[in-house]
Amino acid sequence: MIDVTKYLKENKELTDYRVNEVKNESYEAFFVHRKLETVRATEYTDVSVTAYKDHDGKKGESSFSVYASTTESELREKIAAAAKRAELVFNEPYEIPEGGKAETEVSSNVKDYKPKELAAKVAEAVYAADNYEDGSINAVEIFIYKKKITVKNSRGVDKSETGYEIMIEAIPTWNEGGESVELYEAYRTSEFDFAAITAEIDGKMKEVRDRKHAVKPEKIGNANVILNAKEISELISELAADADYATAYTHSNVKNVGDGWQNNPTGDKLVVTARGAVKGSVYSATFDADGTSLKDKKIIDGGKVVGRYGSNRFAKYLGEEVTGNLRCFEVEKGTLTAEEIKKQPYIECVSLSGLQLDLYNDYIGGGIRLAYYFDGEKTVPVTGISMSGRLSNVLETLKATDKIVTERNYRGPDKIMLAGMEIL
Amino acid sequence: MAFSKFLDEKRKIIKELVAELGKTFGYVSVLGTDVKATLYMADARSSSIRDGSGECGFVVKLWNGNAFMEYSTDDISGDMKELAKKIVEATKISASLEDKTIKPISKPADEPLVKSFVRGVDFDEYTDGELLDFCKSVRDKVKNASDKVVNAIGYLQPFTVSKLFITKNRELDQFYGWCNGMAIAVYKDGKIVRARENAYSYNVSEVMRELPSKIGKLIDKAAHLVKAEPIKPGVYDVITDSSITGLIAHEAFGHGVEMDQFVKDRALAKEYVGKYVASPISNMRDGAAAVVSAASYFFDDDGVLAGDTQIIKDGILVSGICDLVSACQLGVKPTGNGRRESFKRKAYTRMTNTFFEGRNDKLEDMIKSVKHGYMLFETNNGMEDPKNWQIQCTAEYGIEIIDGKLTENYVSPVVMSGSVPELLKSITMISGGVEIIGAGMCGKGYKEWVRVTDGGPALKVKVKLA
Repeated sequence: MIDVTKYLKENKELTDYRVNEVKNESYEAFFVHRKLETVRATEYTDVSVTAYKDHDGKKGESSFSVYASTTESELREKIAAAAKRAELVFNEPYEIPEGGKAETEVSSNVKDYKPKELAAKVAEAVYAADNYEDGSINAVEIFIYKKKITVKNSRGVDKSETGYEIMIEAIPTWNEGGESVELYEAYRTSEFDFAAITAEIDGKMKEVRDRKHAVKPEKIGNANVILNAKEISELISELAADADYATAYTHSNVKNVGDGWQNNPTGDKLVVTARGAVKGSVYSATFDADGTSLKDKKIIDGGKVVGRYGSNRFAKYLGEEVTGNLRCFEVEKGTLTAEEIKKQPYIECVSLSGLQLDLYNDYIGGGIRLAYYFDGEKTVPVTGISMSGRLSNVLETLKATDKIVTERNYRGPDKIMLAGMEIL
Repeated sequence: MAFSKFLDEKRKIIKELVAELGKTFGYVSVLGTDVKATLYMADARSSSIRDGSGECGFVVKLWNGNAFMEYSTDDISGDMKELAKKIVEATKISASLEDKTIKPISKPADEPLVKSFVRGVDFDEYTDGELLDFCKSVRDKVKNASDKVVNAIGYLQPFTVSKLFITKNRELDQFYGWCNGMAIAVYKDGKIVRARENAYSYNVSEVMRELPSKIGKLIDKAAHLVKAEPIKPGVYDVITDSSITGLIAHEAFGHGVEMDQFVKDRALAKEYVGKYVASPISNMRDGAAAVVSAASYFFDDDGVLAGDTQIIKDGILVSGICDLVSACQLGVKPTGNGRRESFKRKAYTRMTNTFFEGRNDKLEDMIKSVKHGYMLFETNNGMEDPKNWQIQCTAEYGIEIIDGKLTENYVSPVVMSGSVPELLKSITMISGGVEIIGAGMCGKGYKEWVRVTDGGPALKVKVKLA
């Protein structure tokens, strides 16, 4: 790959520049039933250059990609073109981050294995859960990733971080009585743990068994809905996105600092902190795309918005603290034990077609592929129903467990309960 | 604008690589991609010109009777013997898996064909300044249309695609482009809503002509959406606009006939070929060659020429769509639906332009026939479930119909869910006037994003809304 910074330094039109580089390597294995259908290896580098030009009291910027194919003369042309494009852009001025050198590697045992051997071990761990007479895993995709992320800019930022990830996509299936049902499983981790993978897939096998036996219930009406970590992570990410500086700068936010997502909470009060890293999350990072070192920030406390977070540019526009673009969100534990949250009648959503959230229209809902319905006496698996509610109403009723888990970019209670959801 | 000079210059060396790997493998293909995308944007407080989702690289595909092997790289250069060795080494299978590879029914076809395909674009008739000025003018018109507009955004996203496909017997190249334009109003009147209007074409001049004409409609829509209420959940008679018809085609049945899912026994549709799956008045197609839109190409990422597949004919499922690898597993012909997110990712069976065909009902008669229900507009998102034939499709908004007339009562958002066969068999009226919406992206599960379009006429259906 061409030395991009050398040519950026040559150009006298630019005020500043930033180079983002990601070196990617992967080994991938695709299984159909228990047979290996395809193996893939990838090796490529993504390079994005942002050219800045201060002009007419404003700041212009433009970005472009550099490929392995890019020649020296093409790169000079791209830089010159970016400088001209930046002159067409009249944004409010701000200073890009200055200084800071770091080279880190995220702790992971993935690097202790050869990728093709690790892919085989992951497959073995997945199929170790495929031991039910009526169950099977119809498709498995395994990705072993290594990524080295580097940010350099003209103000002395030079940071890199190497990370590893295992991603598994599996389709647990249950065949019984001439009929077949399936669920979708996506599992991401930075640590290879044979037993943890098998346990995760085994849990999904039990769930898909229950989906096969699930029935469409008689009319339920209003119900307490229990959401698990995957859906909680989507809900919290949506609330957190509203507190991003960029959202506020573009007047697209629903809540301002001081406003409440919960105003008269009858359950647990939400406390959310945006973090650079949370334990066990592959989204954890020490710096963002600008090279800004990430700084944690509490954004919701007692159910009310207490702070915002975001990237260097929008922080400076708003005159706020630069936290960097935080991608992880931690929620404080709730007050209920695993037993207490299931004392009253509930519908626990295990698999949704997708959680639908619309902050503008105050909506939460989704189609339920599998849930457990407890009517006060017995618990049965149910399917073929949907839930919906006013987000502002149901957040007031939120109750959370005291058990903390990590799911994608979320760390917090493993379950929350929302009362008064309409079930159809 | 024309086919990538970079890829053109790589033809010779790629043929050397194919020949070198051909000494070891029965089938070798190389796909080269050079996609250039630019995003022009102006909102009330900032603007930008930057590269969009472009790519430039290669994927080498190998087969020797068992599993397929692929190697994705951003560089093919140097000594091809050395590169061939590197590729073979990188794609080796663990010894513990060697006896667990799949045995396809048929080998990948490599029928001789040398051809170039071009669909011209007018992007280079405009300077960066002119395209950004257009976005600023859209922004200003939206902003000035109402004092309730708190932010306005104008977008243009032109992209061009160059792809080169080479095997022992085939040498194909294609060049085409597309442009999506969008106007967005962030509108505040008590609560805040974001409303959007799109325009799209293979010529940016058409987008620049059409988008400004939709600003009045955009503001009117925003003014209604800000007053919209949640829908009372229930089962309703529903009239769909072209966008929602397309979403149904895509989510309800399109994913269900992707034949890589047949291989995995993941699609119930496999058992329904030749059987009624929809109302007898329903006809549905998919194909990159079926219409000219954002998902129209000349050959797919397996080097298979673009198709036009009739999926449902008079309510009967007649065919699925298929990529090269799945076709080998099933012993059928691929339909030109093998697509990759980029050279970095695997090819899967993917939809292209998916749509219901029109009939002769008049939209006003369809609305008149509804005692109480909703007309639904604009795709937000959807989720497939091809094994269990459950769907979830979200419309941006609906307008209540009472006694055969559209009212001023808007509901938003609206989530359709339920059983695919029940929904498709409930189709009782179909209008003329097929419109293909050319601005969508589709994932497989939760990844592998590719550009798709969908659409059709208006449908009258009965479905659960929440």
